[in-house]
Amino acid sequence: MAAVIAWILFGMGVLGLVLRRDLVIKLLALGLVNSSAILFLVSLGDRPGAVSPIEVPGLQAPLADPLPQALVLSAIVVNFAILALALVFVMILVERYHTTDSIRIEQEVEKEKDEEEEMPCR
Amino acid sequence: MRQSRRLTLIAALIVVGFIGTIAWTYFSDRPQPLETPLYLARPVEETGAINRVTGIYLNYRLLDTLLEVLVFSVAILGIQHYLARSKAVRLPRLMESEVVRTAVSLLSPLAFLLSLFFVLFGHLSPGGGFASGVIAASGLLYVGIALGMKEAEQRLSPKRLGRVEKGVLLLLIAYVLFPVLLGRTPLTDLLPRGTPGHLLSGGSILIYNLLIASKVLIGAWIAIVSFAQHRGEL
Repeated sequence: MAAVIAWILFGMGVLGLVLRRDLVIKLLALGLVNSSAILFLVSLGDRPGAVSPIEVPGLQAPLADPLPQALVLSAIVVNFAILALALVFVMILVERYHTTDSIRIEQEVEKEKDEEEEMPCR
Repeated sequence: MRQSRRLTLIAALIVVGFIGTIAWTYFSDRPQPLETPLYLARPVEETGAINRVTGIYLNYRLLDTLLEVLVFSVAILGIQHYLARSKAVRLPRLMESEVVRTAVSLLSPLAFLLSLFFVLFGHLSPGGGFASGVIAASGLLYVGIALGMKEAEQRLSPKRLGRVEKGVLLLLIAYVLFPVLLGRTPLTDLLPRGTPGHLLSGGSILIYNLLIASKVLIGAWIAIVSFAQHRGEL
């Protein structure tokens, strides 16, 4: 069940990443994709009737596989790093072009390129 | 307009195809989960931590965790480096309303207490260095909101704290490499394991958790201050 939710979140994230024009929304969608990957990996460690992998004395229930949970920590930290750095780049772009619309930023960059080509060489 | 609709359709088709492929492999070829997963088959006394997840990422796979800490440091360095290029906004000395300040003064001690619990009991219950550092940083953010970021930034200067952060990273690496001096493999845990379930158990896990938590706390605070400096008052 958790795996199915993860796929749905993944689809929503990728669609947002491709179709939305706003850079900040794109970053949020990237975060959604990452969360879905984390959910999927953690769901792989599940077993029927399993509880969280902490050895409490006298516990009879089986424990969930702790390996995916430990490895997912890297995914969380890398996700933080990517989002924070990408946000910084978005801030630099906004400072320069005064918009978060990716298509308008592309047009501005094209315009700048054309202007540079028209300038005579000194 | 028509072109964007076609783009939407193509994107949706690709996504559905991709998810379908994953779902197909998930339901057909997936290896069945083991009767006892690999790490659960090993005795708790090997790491001394009853939280098996902590036992894995701070003992069996400590190298991975060290690299994560490095990734975190690089991200903080990148934020500082690239934001230093854009012009800083001069923070106005602004105070929040009485309501916000009262709420924050109630919330921030709770955040610090929770973070202390998570770091000390990381090997006994859910928690650990990363989570605890982030919670403490959010507590600092509350303080920053209450005092005004300018005031908070002057009291806890990111420049001075940046040096502490690098010092903590070096300390962590030195601690991990110390067994080499005794002729052992690096990353070996020299401390006794203790009785699983007690506070002082799990060998060096408590020390690692404390170091990682302080590193994440300082790093996240530097990131918060950098973002605030370059985009006005929070």
